[in-house]
Amino acid sequence: MRTLVKVLISLFMFLLAVFIVGPLVWLASRAFAAEWRYPDLWPTGFTLRWWRVVVDDPMVVVALQNSATFASLTVLISAAICLPAAYAFSRYQFPGRRFMLVALFAVNAFPKMGLFVALASLFYALQLMQTVLGVLIVHVLGTVVFMTWIPAAAFSAVPRSLEEAARDAGAGPFRVFWSVTLPMALPAILVAAIMSFIASWDEAQGTYLVGAPDYMTMPTQMYSLVLNYPSQVSAVFSILLSVPSAGLLLLVRKQIMGGQLAEGFQIK
Amino acid sequence: MSSDPDAGAPVAGAVDDDAPAAAPTSAAATGTLTNPRRVRHRARVRSLRGLLMASPPLLLIAAFTGFPIVLAIAYSLGHTGGLNSTTALIAQHQHVKTEWWGTLGAYREVLTNERFQRDLRVTLLVTVVSTTVVLALALIIALYLRLAGGWAAKALTVVSVVPMFIPVVIASWAVLMFYAPDGFLRSLFAQVGLEGPTFGYTVTAIIIAQVWCSLPFAVLMCASGVQAVPDALIDAARDSGAGLVRTTFSVILPMAFVPIVIAATFTAIGIIGSFTVPYFTGPTAPTMLGVDMANYFTAYNRPQQSIVMAVVVFVAASLIAVTYVWANFRSSKESGA
Amino acid sequence: MTLARRSFLSLAAAATAGVVAGCATKSTEIGATDAPAPTTSGSAGSAGSSAGGGAPLTVHLSGDTNMQELWEKALVPAFVKANPGYTVKVQLDLHGERDAQTQAKLTAAQAQNQDAGIDLVDAGFVQTLAEAGIMEPISVSNVPNLEGIPEDVVKAGNGGGVPYRGSSVLLAYDPEVVKEVPTTLDEVLAWIKANPGKFTYCPPKSGGSGGAWVTTVLDQNMDPADAEKLRTTYDQEAMKGWDKGFGVLRELGPSIYQKGVYPNGNKQVLDLLSSGQIAMCTVWSDQFISGQKSGLVPERIKATQISNPSFTGGAAYLGVPKGSAKKEHAIKLVDFVLSAEAQTLIANQIAGFPVIPLEKLPAETQQIFREAHPDVLRPGYLDKVGKDMNNEWDQKVPGN
Repeated sequence: MRTLVKVLISLFMFLLAVFIVGPLVWLASRAFAAEWRYPDLWPTGFTLRWWRVVVDDPMVVVALQNSATFASLTVLISAAICLPAAYAFSRYQFPGRRFMLVALFAVNAFPKMGLFVALASLFYALQLMQTVLGVLIVHVLGTVVFMTWIPAAAFSAVPRSLEEAARDAGAGPFRVFWSVTLPMALPAILVAAIMSFIASWDEAQGTYLVGAPDYMTMPTQMYSLVLNYPSQVSAVFSILLSVPSAGLLLLVRKQIMGGQLAEGFQIK
Repeated sequence: MSSDPDAGAPVAGAVDDDAPAAAPTSAAATGTLTNPRRVRHRARVRSLRGLLMASPPLLLIAAFTGFPIVLAIAYSLGHTGGLNSTTALIAQHQHVKTEWWGTLGAYREVLTNERFQRDLRVTLLVTVVSTTVVLALALIIALYLRLAGGWAAKALTVVSVVPMFIPVVIASWAVLMFYAPDGFLRSLFAQVGLEGPTFGYTVTAIIIAQVWCSLPFAVLMCASGVQAVPDALIDAARDSGAGLVRTTFSVILPMAFVPIVIAATFTAIGIIGSFTVPYFTGPTAPTMLGVDMANYFTAYNRPQQSIVMAVVVFVAASLIAVTYVWANFRSSKESGA
Repeated sequence: MTLARRSFLSLAAAATAGVVAGCATKSTEIGATDAPAPTTSGSAGSAGSSAGGGAPLTVHLSGDTNMQELWEKALVPAFVKANPGYTVKVQLDLHGERDAQTQAKLTAAQAQNQDAGIDLVDAGFVQTLAEAGIMEPISVSNVPNLEGIPEDVVKAGNGGGVPYRGSSVLLAYDPEVVKEVPTTLDEVLAWIKANPGKFTYCPPKSGGSGGAWVTTVLDQNMDPADAEKLRTTYDQEAMKGWDKGFGVLRELGPSIYQKGVYPNGNKQVLDLLSSGQIAMCTVWSDQFISGQKSGLVPERIKATQISNPSFTGGAAYLGVPKGSAKKEHAIKLVDFVLSAEAQTLIANQIAGFPVIPLEKLPAETQQIFREAHPDVLRPGYLDKVGKDMNNEWDQKVPGN
């Protein structure tokens, strides 16, 4: 009985691992494959020439650079706008507080497809079309939920006794925030920053509306790239697009696993 | 696991550190705020300051998402003038308002359309099935991590979070290739001379890809919820003779109820409005409403009908979100007040 | 905690570094340096290019990759050679995937008198936007080379669309499987039913080769006068005649590849034929010919036109958005595309049918198209009618 359970669990784990990692490996290995014929489980040979095809394309290099710039700036701007709000949501009681917290998210649930024309009109009216600022606004919109909810929960979780102790020791409110509250909330802010980075890194539809043809990013190029080239080349793109996110994951795996993300999604 | 010592007991409400009700003692102790009028005044100032600090992201969302949504809904009701005239200029099969408030013509057209009904059914089916599977897998992983622990459980959790960091376009593409006619699954079957199933471009493929993409968030929520159940409670249940299954169903799951509901609602909301996954992996028809919306918008040049569908999806998502809000407030009422 | 703070700092550092080192770069400027003629800034006096010389013209292209090659490798270099000082940037939107955004942008820009950053559009929606008054009006007076193009073809551009190439749809087949080649539509339908799983076409919304197949089957099953009417007018009464034709297409479902898989896009269907998964499909003439040239379509695959009725073809249209600040230069490019030189390039590069009178072309090009020409422009439906056809096909044919 015991061994049966063990075998079943191992089998489940194995299948789940294949289910999740399989498609990625299957796709990624094409980036190094010379040719791959059905129904072989192994390519005919390995090569790096697909990488050269990609790296030599100036559009791709620019798109990568733009993606990185927009994502970084988005995180900084989003933090500047949302962190004070997160603090307010956690520490101040004001009318409509919960409503506002929910609204931040609810509005995002409306499918974007119906909003393009109105958005385009708005951006033209504000002279934001084809500008860096316009693209950044679109990106920041997609990060607000992460940047507000997760840090707000973290600020709430900082024990009051610590802050009061610091205040009793004569620290001013900014000093208390800087040396007590902020450091304790930092892991959550880090998680929020990375979720925001990924959201920005992934944004395609709005970027195309506002940025194209001047500011193309990796995701806006992705559709053409996936279907336009042999599947080996799209595999290379896929790796390029996934590596930054995966790298960031390694950086914060402890915080994310530790429940910082989960905490943020419980509105109190 | 969590660095926060009392993560298990959610902090109730926003604890307002020196709002009168919350901290009368500290106010009295410092001796500066004994005058009730000054206390009230101070509370108002704090309330205003909170509102001010909280408003920038809200204003941003209101201007760049909320306002377009209002316009779009007005347009779906037949208000084709003003700011909507740009859209109305090129659209076909428009319903123009007949009453001061508009017309329900577009809604009537879409809601009675057979394809819409069929695709709505598919959308709901995919949402329900995917959410159920995601939740089941996430709970199994979370419980395994909580009850067995060890490196294998940790590794499994890490693996199940991997999809969170893969862009959706690539995820859909990878899943499609894996289950395509010349993909891994069929290659594997072919090795032993069998004809494997082809899931590429089927509703099954949509569900597989949705599960793949949604699993990480659900795992994180469930794991966090299940981790927070104190050892003492589990041990007590075990000591009183409850088996593994009973402990799970009568102690752990009820304790982790809120995070589980949150996992379910966010997964469902994400799936119900999705476009990329069904577009890449699904069949031409039937498909999910996200794809229909894009088709109505471009391929059939009927933005009004497209927006009607967006409203339907939005309403469905809102209904799901009500569950989320209810679960949250229930929990803060229980632990707080 | 210290670990978190350290990683936070490094993230912040990385972000700042990204900002400092990277900075958003205009993708369009890259393209400009790519173009053959260096920017000799107009005012320096190169002939006729004055203001528009420096900033590149942007051509927005919504379609397949063969069109991108036509523009980037043939038309643009020839134009720049004839007009030194110009630079032209081609922006491809594959399969018109983001047509919704592009249309939204163009209409919104026009409503506010702004430049959408697109100077020339080559897309299926040009006629729609022309009808809505978003495209610059076109006539012989500003585009002299329009002279001599058949009037009804020009008229279908709704005053703002310029027809610049024609192509027809052919029946492509694998002779190893198809022993007796069908010559009429009835024979094709019979073959499909006799050989289930060996034929498919793309949904009309995703590619014109599927659109032509659907149009042709519909035409065969409706009143010819009504069918003719739908080519020039948006007539909902006439569209009711489609029911029988859609019935035929629906019944065909079980005999289609994998019992009813319709891949998205012209190229995807052709790929299935090339790899031997199907044995017959409809194909754009230009895509087939250039595919065989590049080796993408194997030698063994053949293509033919059927009769009674033949597959539709049609003209592709260019449009210049009214709001473009460089519209004079864009119109100059349009006029160039209608020149004998450019039309010959189109004929050679993608086997596109010239729209200008054949007499203007070199003798050998004339020879190639002489026989085909009258048949070629059996036009498809009006753009708006086509949108409704897309809708009804999606509704009535797949998945049933």
